[in-house]
Amino acid sequence: MAQRLNLQTLLEDLLDSENVYFQPPPGFLMAYPCIVYNRSNIRTKFADNMPYMHRKQYTLTVIDGDPDSAIPDKIAALPASLFDRHFTSENLNHDVFNILF
Amino acid sequence: MAQLITWDAVGDRFYETGVDHGVLYPQIPDGTYPVGVAWNGLTNITESPSGAESNPQFADNIKYLNLLSVEEFGATIEAFTYPNEFAVCDGSAFPELGVAVGQQPRKPFGLCYRTLFGNDTEGTEHGYKLHLIYGALASPSEKAYQTVNESPEAITFSWEVTTTPAPVTGLKPSASITIDSTKVDPADLAALEVILFGVTPATAGRLPLPDEIITLMNQP
Repeated sequence: MAQRLNLQTLLEDLLDSENVYFQPPPGFLMAYPCIVYNRSNIRTKFADNMPYMHRKQYTLTVIDGDPDSAIPDKIAALPASLFDRHFTSENLNHDVFNILF
Repeated sequence: MAQLITWDAVGDRFYETGVDHGVLYPQIPDGTYPVGVAWNGLTNITESPSGAESNPQFADNIKYLNLLSVEEFGATIEAFTYPNEFAVCDGSAFPELGVAVGQQPRKPFGLCYRTLFGNDTEGTEHGYKLHLIYGALASPSEKAYQTVNESPEAITFSWEVTTTPAPVTGLKPSASITIDSTKVDPADLAALEVILFGVTPATAGRLPLPDEIITLMNQP
């Protein structure tokens, strides 16, 4: 829980706004530019016959009307961040990243 | 005619799996292993006995006899981490707290670990085996540190271990003893585990030498 809240704070600082949404429900009214993210995986390593450590992976989508937005560059510069794909929908640019946090 | 021998009977489909409960016992100069510490993060222990190689001798135009070389016990330990007490077994010395100097003499150690012994009816609840290793010496090993990336991996440390056998009364010296929980007396096993793992901070675990274990398991 605390780790996820740290990520929320980090993303809000990067975006310089509170338009950072964690797993928003369908139909949720979002303000742009924004970052939408959800937990997509938990990577586990085993030792001593048990799960020894795990790290959570989140999928982040930067949504911005500006095709030259600097926000994706800031997300791409985070440690353990990897760009996945880009697409446009309803005149909004979507950049999807996977990040371990 | 019915066969006397049966294969794969219910309850007889045994297998071994897993490794856990690792304990390191640094050896002191008198040859004993008085203090055990937990070894967390064990991922693999590969036992690699060597030697016992055939050396055939020929005479009278026939294979006259077959001499075997001495058998040695070795192993490879793989883990995500190692206890602080292992550093001196891995060639480090500490002139000051937190300062590790490498390429120093390596201290021998003993090791205990557990593997699970399962069957088709009880699974891994069937039993386990305790493996005890004596007179182990770790060889220098590679530590491949890697940049953090989108798929970060914890380093898996790996040590090749050679051994010097401990004396066993009535038998050849041995560096490896295995205790099968399904065969030994449960009370004797419990007593051995108290010795190996300790019960209170005042009575820390220790690694008994082979003769003591055999005596303990021979209790009426």
